[in-house]
Amino acid sequence: MTNEATSSVVAEVACPFCGLACDDLSVDTGGDALAVVAGGCPKAQAGFARMGVAHAGAGARIAGKAVSFEEAYAEVARRVKTSALPVFSGMALDVNGMRGVMDLADAAGGVVDHLYSEIGWRSTRVVQDIGYVTTTLAEVKNRADLIVLVGTDVVTKSSRFFERYVWNDEAMFEPAPSARRIVYLGGDLNTAPGRSPDGREPEVFDFDCSRMPEALSTLNALLAKQPVRDAAPLGIEIARWQALADALRAAKYSVLVWMAGDFQPSQVDLNINAIMAVVRTLNVSTRCNGLGLGGADGELNASMVHAWQTGYPMRTSFASGIPLYDPVHNGSARLIAEGETDTVVWVSALNDTKQPPAEACVVIAPPTLKLEREPEVFIPVSTPGVHHVGHFFRGDKGATLPLRALRATGLPSAATVAAAITAKLKEVSA
Amino acid sequence: MSVIKLTGGRVIDPANGVDDQVRDIYVKDGRIVASLADGDKVSAEYNVSGRIVMSGAIDMHTHIGGGKVNIAREMLPEDHRDDPVARTEITRSSCGYCAPGTLAAGYRYAEMGYTSCFEPAIIPMNARQAHMEMGDTPIVDTGGYAMLGSDDFLLRMLVAKEDQQTINDYVAWILHSTQTLGIKVVNPGGISAFKFNQRKLDVDEQNAYYGVTPRQILRTLSRAVHELGVPHPLHVHASNLGVAGNVDSTLATMDAAEGLPIHLTHIQFHSYGSEGDRKFSSGAARIAEAINRHKNVTADVGQVLFGQTVTASGDNMSQYRNSGLASPKKSAVMDIEMEAGCGVVPFKYKDQNFVNALQWAIGLEIFLMVDDPWRIFLTTDHPNGAPFTTYPHLIKLLTDRSFRNSMLDTINADAKAMSNLASLEREYSLYEIAIMTRAAPARILGLTDRGHLAPGAAADIVVYKEDADRERMFEKPELVFKDGELVVRDGKVVKVVRGNTHVVKPEFDRGIEKKIEPYFRQYHSVRMNNFKISDDELCECGGGSKLIPHACRKRS
Repeated sequence: MTNEATSSVVAEVACPFCGLACDDLSVDTGGDALAVVAGGCPKAQAGFARMGVAHAGAGARIAGKAVSFEEAYAEVARRVKTSALPVFSGMALDVNGMRGVMDLADAAGGVVDHLYSEIGWRSTRVVQDIGYVTTTLAEVKNRADLIVLVGTDVVTKSSRFFERYVWNDEAMFEPAPSARRIVYLGGDLNTAPGRSPDGREPEVFDFDCSRMPEALSTLNALLAKQPVRDAAPLGIEIARWQALADALRAAKYSVLVWMAGDFQPSQVDLNINAIMAVVRTLNVSTRCNGLGLGGADGELNASMVHAWQTGYPMRTSFASGIPLYDPVHNGSARLIAEGETDTVVWVSALNDTKQPPAEACVVIAPPTLKLEREPEVFIPVSTPGVHHVGHFFRGDKGATLPLRALRATGLPSAATVAAAITAKLKEVSA
Repeated sequence: MSVIKLTGGRVIDPANGVDDQVRDIYVKDGRIVASLADGDKVSAEYNVSGRIVMSGAIDMHTHIGGGKVNIAREMLPEDHRDDPVARTEITRSSCGYCAPGTLAAGYRYAEMGYTSCFEPAIIPMNARQAHMEMGDTPIVDTGGYAMLGSDDFLLRMLVAKEDQQTINDYVAWILHSTQTLGIKVVNPGGISAFKFNQRKLDVDEQNAYYGVTPRQILRTLSRAVHELGVPHPLHVHASNLGVAGNVDSTLATMDAAEGLPIHLTHIQFHSYGSEGDRKFSSGAARIAEAINRHKNVTADVGQVLFGQTVTASGDNMSQYRNSGLASPKKSAVMDIEMEAGCGVVPFKYKDQNFVNALQWAIGLEIFLMVDDPWRIFLTTDHPNGAPFTTYPHLIKLLTDRSFRNSMLDTINADAKAMSNLASLEREYSLYEIAIMTRAAPARILGLTDRGHLAPGAAADIVVYKEDADRERMFEKPELVFKDGELVVRDGKVVKVVRGNTHVVKPEFDRGIEKKIEPYFRQYHSVRMNNFKISDDELCECGGGSKLIPHACRKRS
């Protein structure tokens, strides 16, 4: 028997703890907790270590008292059945977890809302208003010659972006990765990873990121050859803006990167629209693409499944028996604040740090979640990519990664829990 | 054990030469049997005397799953509002007209008597998503064609002058890894060329970086598919989609196969001349003549029907070019993962618009001028020409000349004057409709147990009440059985079942992974082993679909 066969290290593991979904991790499954031994980042190491335990002894509770899973399922079914509008929020799930909740939400006549939907619906509005021209990570890795990071450093949320997709040893096409030009639009960003391997500093347009609409307007005006009256927009001399516009025109495959969650919420669609205006202007003569990154906590698993099954994005009400989409009206925070829901069900299998809203009467989450208050029903679940297999959409929409089962647990998956509640709900109905 | 008898129906089963013969059909455990054995007890008998009985219909080219379809759904809430599907005791709610949710699509297909649907443009990296969406498309069987031809791995192999055998191994590896049924090429090499800022690519024009031409790609891939013994010929979306005068490049595309089998998809969009005042004319006669002459060529039409729809294609070069025509004014164009791309452009075909009206006529001309119904397939390239729910209307246009001519009288007069449609007398028979919607697609996809009603076939069966109005007849079958289960009665879903996934698994040398693995490591965004979809994973991400592999007979 070789060492490899007896090793407790699993290679090429995909990580579900941020939207990049890096799939080159090696994880040691031999200890009490899972340990990332290669290819990780602090977030991955912490996630596998914290959630990668066996959860011995964890069980369901009603009003803080231990109950059987069956009793907990029946109680949740009773609550959503009698609710006029149950709201399912959180949704940090893999694809099958989301599928399960969708079955349940439709049968219960509820609304499904991801914890990042307040940003997400505004991004979606750009697609619904004008559409986009975008690219994906493998294209960036091999083609990008000029990368403009718009109001984001990416690395705060996804630390391996430059390591995996920018400063590669080799790309398929010119230029060599080390010759890539990096530009940051906005201040207070971690620009150190934008330094090239040979020490070339990135260009930084240092201004308050809340003024991003002005910055993008300046750029769009210059690209459209319109006059800009201000000699120094946002305190940066106009010649620098012009040089950036010229560089974008001269680039063969420029990429404008944003993370919607890094914009001020009220500016999300405004900024992405403006980025798309830049991209569309440039594509008349050269190639330029947007790259919107996101997808942490299964954001895209939720939005993708919701759209393909029902036709609509999240924030759709199933209360009337047909889907009715209204992303403002059906926001979970608004429904809670206005007292339009009496039953909030928090479902989160990938995130054990985010607190559910205080109004959540049902919490379906990993037992490692340290709840600030005891909900009326708590059901512990296992985590996809840790305890059971699953699927995860990467934040650029370019790939879906298979998640592995690395550690056994006696706990059910969120999909199993949702299916069991749906079955109980139908019994109640029948 | 379940035994079903359909008694006294008028059976139309072209695969077995049966044309409107009164026969009883027996179904045992989901399969058609010749007769019952001693001791078999009929658990359900359906008196279908006087009714038309056909096998379940097969849509061999319909965009039902994968990234671009989901972009279309997300982009078009205005499309969905007026077309809801209400929740019932047995079905989920969903909605959408030209970009419906998977649930709406599955229910509606079944309600129209379709029991198998094939997604024609699966970007290999996006295969998981496509299978997940198809897995959430209830009742119907599914499968897909993997897109190659603009993937850098293949283009690099062509530049390196790798031998055909090595390329065949790569093509087979893609089929296995993506769990697909065929290979599709979209604007051969053009999607790659667009990434190098080329805006058009003719059949003999070189990719600016690789120097490879579409003709080389077509020749190599059609040969690979043929030699691997994949039943479905190379599925080709030709160069110059939608461009006036593209009939020449379409004919050149046929020639590029050098006599090997080739399937030209949505050929209506590739049959345009450049005659007349507006430099846009019908090339249907030349295309139909070429199909009639080249027995190696098959085609599906991609008929345009008037109204709002959305175009969704892997051909981002063409879709970017057409984005100015978007209605409503929005579009999404993507470069994707060193493999391909996509473009989503909503579109409204108007009967008083000269070009749209002529597109409508060109599609019908092709249907009526191609002699052999075994080599021309009924599609709208859903949703590109129109949503699949328009199929009954299209069948009426093909089967009823007076109806067709009355429609022709209402379209843009200049377009009508440019078309020979009024002079075409042909009316498709029910037998021919059954060929082009059942027998022929099953044959060309290698689905030996679908598309017919002989013993051994899967019991995908549709019962229609005959109606002189063929649109009314085909939009609402009386009974639909899927693998022997009654799933639709009087045009409404009465039971929801899970369809199967059809794939091919050609033999190949696994040594090809020694070339592929380092390529993934160096240039791709995922590891090779995370790219491949295993059988177990397919069934899991398809929500429990059964995998049906179809035989390949090596021909090299």
